[in-house]
Amino acid sequence: MSDQVTRRAFLAAAGAGAAWLAADPELVRAALVHARNVIAAPPPYRFEALTAAQAADLEAIAMRIIPSDDGSPGAKEAGVVHFMDKALTTFAADQKAATLAGLADLNKRAKTKWPGTTSFVALTPARQDELLKSIEGSEFFGATRGAVIVGMFANPSYGGNQNQVGWKLLGFQAHGLYQSPFGYYDAEARKGG
Amino acid sequence: MQASPRITYPTSTEVDFVIVGSGAAGGVMAKELSTRGFSVVVLEQGPRLLPSQFEHDEFKYMLQNGISNPSPVSWRKTEKEVARVGAGQLLYARLVGGSSVHFTANFWRLHEIDFIERSRLGSIPGADLQDWPITYADLEPYYTKVDWEVGVSGEPGPFDPPRSRPYPLPPMPVKSSGVLFERGARKIGLHPQSAPMAILSRPFNGRNACQHCGYCMNFGCEYDAKSSSLASVIPVAEATGKCEIRPNSYVRKVELNARGRATGVIYFDAQKKEQFQRAKAVVLCANGAETPRLLLMSKSNRFPQGLANSSGLIGKTLMFNVGAGVMGLFEHPLNEYRSIQVTRLSHDFYDSDPKRGFYGGGGIDARFQQYPITWAFGGLAQDAPKWGSAFKQMVGDYFNRTMAIAGHTTSLPVPSNSISLDPKVKDAWGLPAIRVTYNDHPDDLKISQFLMDRSMEILDAAGAQKKWVDYGVEPATFTAHLLGTCRMGKNPKTSVIDIDHRTHDVRNLFLCDGSSMVTSGRGQPTMTIMALAFRAGERIAGLASRGEI
Repeated sequence: MSDQVTRRAFLAAAGAGAAWLAADPELVRAALVHARNVIAAPPPYRFEALTAAQAADLEAIAMRIIPSDDGSPGAKEAGVVHFMDKALTTFAADQKAATLAGLADLNKRAKTKWPGTTSFVALTPARQDELLKSIEGSEFFGATRGAVIVGMFANPSYGGNQNQVGWKLLGFQAHGLYQSPFGYYDAEARKGG
Repeated sequence: MQASPRITYPTSTEVDFVIVGSGAAGGVMAKELSTRGFSVVVLEQGPRLLPSQFEHDEFKYMLQNGISNPSPVSWRKTEKEVARVGAGQLLYARLVGGSSVHFTANFWRLHEIDFIERSRLGSIPGADLQDWPITYADLEPYYTKVDWEVGVSGEPGPFDPPRSRPYPLPPMPVKSSGVLFERGARKIGLHPQSAPMAILSRPFNGRNACQHCGYCMNFGCEYDAKSSSLASVIPVAEATGKCEIRPNSYVRKVELNARGRATGVIYFDAQKKEQFQRAKAVVLCANGAETPRLLLMSKSNRFPQGLANSSGLIGKTLMFNVGAGVMGLFEHPLNEYRSIQVTRLSHDFYDSDPKRGFYGGGGIDARFQQYPITWAFGGLAQDAPKWGSAFKQMVGDYFNRTMAIAGHTTSLPVPSNSISLDPKVKDAWGLPAIRVTYNDHPDDLKISQFLMDRSMEILDAAGAQKKWVDYGVEPATFTAHLLGTCRMGKNPKTSVIDIDHRTHDVRNLFLCDGSSMVTSGRGQPTMTIMALAFRAGERIAGLASRGEI
């Protein structure tokens, strides 16, 4: 096999997250820059494709995919919901109907399971997880996960990955210039002669 | 290199050679012909980019076709099926320098055995395995030319074929993945070696040494340290004042006259307007998919099945190089995102061994495989958490402690595996899309499994805390290696080109790229494609000088 990572990228772009991964980079960049600007401004946030309620639910999903509850930044701090909102009016406009349907379905499931539920975002995190587990094979969930990953880990020059929160999570740096030794084992080998 | 004023030729000028493609083969061919005094026009599908335009942008280059070909490809397993777009994909770059710009720069020579496996092993059921009409000894001087003219870093390994000159540059510094690979491989009795790479470990021929930025595979090198044709031979060709590299020129047909001679090529310019470039001879270096496609599109009364296709073999015996990949987690940080993809490999299993019970051989190498988006998307094990706190924790904790080991194998030449023209799907120029028909020979999957098992043993022996399959033994649906579709041979009935790379059917039409290869080697074909182009360029120039074209 020549390039596993490229194959992985191909599978990702052909799979559930396709709409988010197989887009024109400049449009993705525009959506991520939008997200950055929105987050930098004081609330209340304005949404273009989503109602405030829909945005709150979508953000709640994103926050369960990459939570912030361990004290380190997650999808919320990366501004993922604003990226998605912008994308749904531009390069992922054809995903808007599916996204809204996915949100509606999720709320229906929530209300059936726990009568009296007002919305997904109002559920406890444990219940949100339980519900998401039941739809994790769905296209809606896969697409949302794809968007979260792009928003969290794409090059900060796109405007997402705010303050490199995604890259810091990985310990990935992008100085562009490195010298040997690069890691623990080659440093150790060098010391050992 | 000092930039000299670049020559341009009007399309009405009959140049000595028009070359289609400017990649590993086309770039070398342009240099070899123009430095011998011939006038040359190179037509390249894609744009010309400067090194400063190559960005560190995973989304653009890995997930989007930043510099790779965006045209649709349809795919099927057998000839009985209707091929589907999206069922598989070919990866190649579309810019001046071709795929030599974005390749990983693994740079293995073929071994002596690759040229003579048919006579050593006999026929293999389900395949049309043949010897090459040339031997390793015939090609060795040209491998050496590649080493010294293009720039290769390495040191001899225990299984290497003979070389007439040492490497021009010492090996690249070893990474943690290389150290661990070496440790594990030695423990299980293997003989790991430095990986030969077309990346400069020291400044060479006026180019910079590698700065270890970590963006090799799928990216262009902004330091000119990767030995692409764009960084190495194309400037030499242009400095002759005889060679024009014409970007944004997409060739759709090779024209033939009533006497059966090629007269030039029709291409679309940047405005999608048709142009005709006249030439005394045509050399196709468009890659193992685009070269057969162009021939199949160049139908005429004389060649109703496609140009130079009296054998019916154009596009047939498509080969890839397959293999499986595994990942291992270690205690300390490896920081694999720094520096080049590969620093150590094993060729212990290069040769086919009848004791294994199947045909095939290959190499195993230690790899860096994780850029952030694709890592988060699918780098963890299949059964790892895909979202939530556990996912976040694992994706972060594992990133710098993980390395990959990949197998690279033979692909048998199966006659029904092919490149053909899709009857319905068109590209953005209205031309028939490439249709791939590919069904792995069972022995190719067996050698993939064999090397994957050895890779897991190496990870264990190196002390991996965890290991998982990144890419298992599955039918091929993806490749960057496009080989064997216009094979070289002496018999016009069983091959497409002769030992001079001249088509058996058309005296002034030559083909040189991965399509020329008779067997697949064990992976990493670019070195061989460049060596073939140095050899072919010299021979074609000789024919032209003697008036034999």
